[in-house]
Amino acid sequence: MVTSAMLASASAMPGGLAGDRSKLGRLTVISLAVALVAAMVLSMTTGASGASAWSVMASWFGHAPADEAQALRDQAVIYNIRLPRMILGVLIGAGLAVSGLLMQGLFRNPLADPGLVGVSSGSALGAVGIIVLGTTMFAPFTEALGIFALPIAAFGGGLVTTAILYRVATRGGQTAIATMLLAGIAIGALAGAISGVLVYIANDAQLRDLTFWGLGSLAGATWVKIVAAGPIIAIALIVACFLSKGLNALTLGEATAGHLGVPVQRFKIFTILAVAAATGASVAVSGGIGFVGIVVPHLLRLVIGPNHHYLLPATALLGATFLLMADAISRTIVAPAELPIGIVTAAFGGPFFLWILLRRRSAFAW
Amino acid sequence: MIEIDSLGVELGGRTILQGVSFTAAPGELTAIIGPNGSGKSTLLKAICRDYHYSGTVRLNSIDLARMSPLDAACQRAVLPQSSTLPFPFTVREVVAMGITAGRPGPVGAALRSLPERALARVDLAGFGGRYYGEISGGEQQRVQLARVLCQVWQPVLDGTPRFLFLDEPVSSLDVKHQLMIMDVARHHADAGGGVIAVLHDLNLAAMYADRIVALAHGRTAAFGTPAEVLTDVTIDVVFDAPLRVGLAPPPPIPFVLPQSAQPSALKARVG
Repeated sequence: MVTSAMLASASAMPGGLAGDRSKLGRLTVISLAVALVAAMVLSMTTGASGASAWSVMASWFGHAPADEAQALRDQAVIYNIRLPRMILGVLIGAGLAVSGLLMQGLFRNPLADPGLVGVSSGSALGAVGIIVLGTTMFAPFTEALGIFALPIAAFGGGLVTTAILYRVATRGGQTAIATMLLAGIAIGALAGAISGVLVYIANDAQLRDLTFWGLGSLAGATWVKIVAAGPIIAIALIVACFLSKGLNALTLGEATAGHLGVPVQRFKIFTILAVAAATGASVAVSGGIGFVGIVVPHLLRLVIGPNHHYLLPATALLGATFLLMADAISRTIVAPAELPIGIVTAAFGGPFFLWILLRRRSAFAW
Repeated sequence: MIEIDSLGVELGGRTILQGVSFTAAPGELTAIIGPNGSGKSTLLKAICRDYHYSGTVRLNSIDLARMSPLDAACQRAVLPQSSTLPFPFTVREVVAMGITAGRPGPVGAALRSLPERALARVDLAGFGGRYYGEISGGEQQRVQLARVLCQVWQPVLDGTPRFLFLDEPVSSLDVKHQLMIMDVARHHADAGGGVIAVLHDLNLAAMYADRIVALAHGRTAAFGTPAEVLTDVTIDVVFDAPLRVGLAPPPPIPFVLPQSAQPSALKARVG
C-alpha cells in the first residue's frame, strides 16, 4: 500500500532544510491524489453485477456495443448505482476524515473525533427526529426543506452537540482532556437515549426507514442523496481549506494564535460549523461510519507531521480513498450480498491503528 | 510608541490592575518589574488583548481596541511564558509559524531561510530537525523566541517601529543564554524597534533596560530610568524587602558579576 511505503520513509526528510517537511507534504498530497483517482476507477469498475464501465466509456467515443440490451443494463448500473455511490463515498470519506482533523485541531487534542465525543450521536438524533417526527411534529420543517430536511437536521444536531461540548470542556482557551471525553460520553449517551425513545414510538414504516438508514452504508446512494448532502459536505470542505493557518497557530494555544494574527473567535465558529456540517451531512446519508476521522489524520501526522497546510488536503484525499477501498471490499467480499461498510472500516482501521501505535509508540508521546 | 493610559483590569470580580500609565518608546527596552502577584504578566496580557481592560492602549498611535488581529500581529510579536504543543512539530516548523503571521520583512530566499537565521540568533543552529517535545525547557523557550523574532524580523518596517512583548524571557535559561537573549532584545531596540519585557532579575533589568516600570499591588509604583527606579526606598516599597542597591566595589578585591560580560565576546562565542 502507498501509505505503508511512505511510513517507512517518514523519518528521513528528503532534501532541503532540516526539520522542513514541506516537500514531503507536497509529495504526499500528490501521491494521495493519484491514489484517489485509482480508487475511483476501481470503484467504478468493480461490482456484483459485472457491468463493464469500460464498455460504457467506449460508447462515449462512438463504439457501438455488441449487445444492445446488455449495454443499456450496464449503463443503468454505472450511472444510477456505481457513480452516485462513488461520488458519495468520496464526499463522505473526505468529510469524516476532515471533521476528525478539525476537531483534533480545535480541541488541541489528538483524541477528539466526532464519533468518540458524541457529535455523531447528536447528528444521528437530528436524523432520527426527522425520520420519526417528520410527518407530525416537524411537518412544517420537512415540507419547507424537502430532501434537505434530513441532512440539515443532522447538521443541527451535530452543531448543538459540538457547541455544548466546547462550552463544557474549554475554559479560558484550555481544553481539559478528561472533561472533553467525559462530556462527550455524557452527550452521546443523552442523544442516544432520546433517539431510543424516538425509535420506541416509531411506527412500522418508520422503523424500516430507520433500520436501512442506521446500517452505516453507502448502499443507498442515489443522486437525490448527493444533491441533498453533497453541497453541505462540499462547502464544509471548502471552508476547511481556509482554516489550516489558524489550526497551526492554535496548536500554540488560543492566546498565541491571537498574537499571530488569527481572529480566534471567528475561526472557532467556522471550525465548529464545518465539523457539524461535514459530520451531520455524512451521518444523514450514510448512518454514521466510524474510525475514519481518527485513523486517517493520525496516520498522516506520522508521515508528514502536523503542519495543517499539507495535513488537511492529505487527510481529505486519504479519507476519500480509504472509504472507497472499504466500500469496494464491503461490496465484493460476500457478493452478491453486502457487508455494512462500518464493519470493514473498523476491521481494517482498528488493527492497523494498533500496529502503528505499537511500532511508533514514541511518536505518540508528544 | 506604545502609550498606556490609566489601564485597569478586573478578573473574576477582583481588581488586578488599576490606573497603570506609561509609555514605551521605540529604540528603548522597557522592563516591567514587581513582586509575585503584582500584575506584571496581567499587564502584558492586557496589552496583548488577552484580557478586557479599561483605559486606553495605543500602538503606534492607533487605538489597540480598534486594530484587527492581523494588523496587531504586523506591529508586535509576543513571547509567552511557556508553550506545550499537542502535536509532534519539528523545531523548524514551530519557528516557521512566525513567518506566516504578520510581516517578517525579508522576501524570497531570505524569507525561506529566516527560521535558520532566527535559530542561529538564539544559539540553536542545527536544532531545526529536532522534535519540539524532545528538547529541554530552556531550549523550547529559545525556540519560541526565534518564532517571535521571525514575526517582526525587521525592527522597523515601512517606517513603523515594531515591538517585542516578552513575558519572563529568561526565566528558565542558564546565565550565558540569559545574557544572550537580553542581547537579542537589546539589539532589536537598538535597531529602532521597541521591547517590553517582564523581568524578575533586577540586575538584568538594571543592565539592559532604558526604562523600568515598577508595579506594586496592581499600580505603577515607579517609572523611569534604572537609576531613578532602582533605589533603596523604591525597592523596599515595591518588594517589601529591605535591600540595598549597590554599585560595584572598588578594586583590588576580585568579584564576578553577570554585569561584567562583554557583549562582543559573547556574540563571538555564539558565532
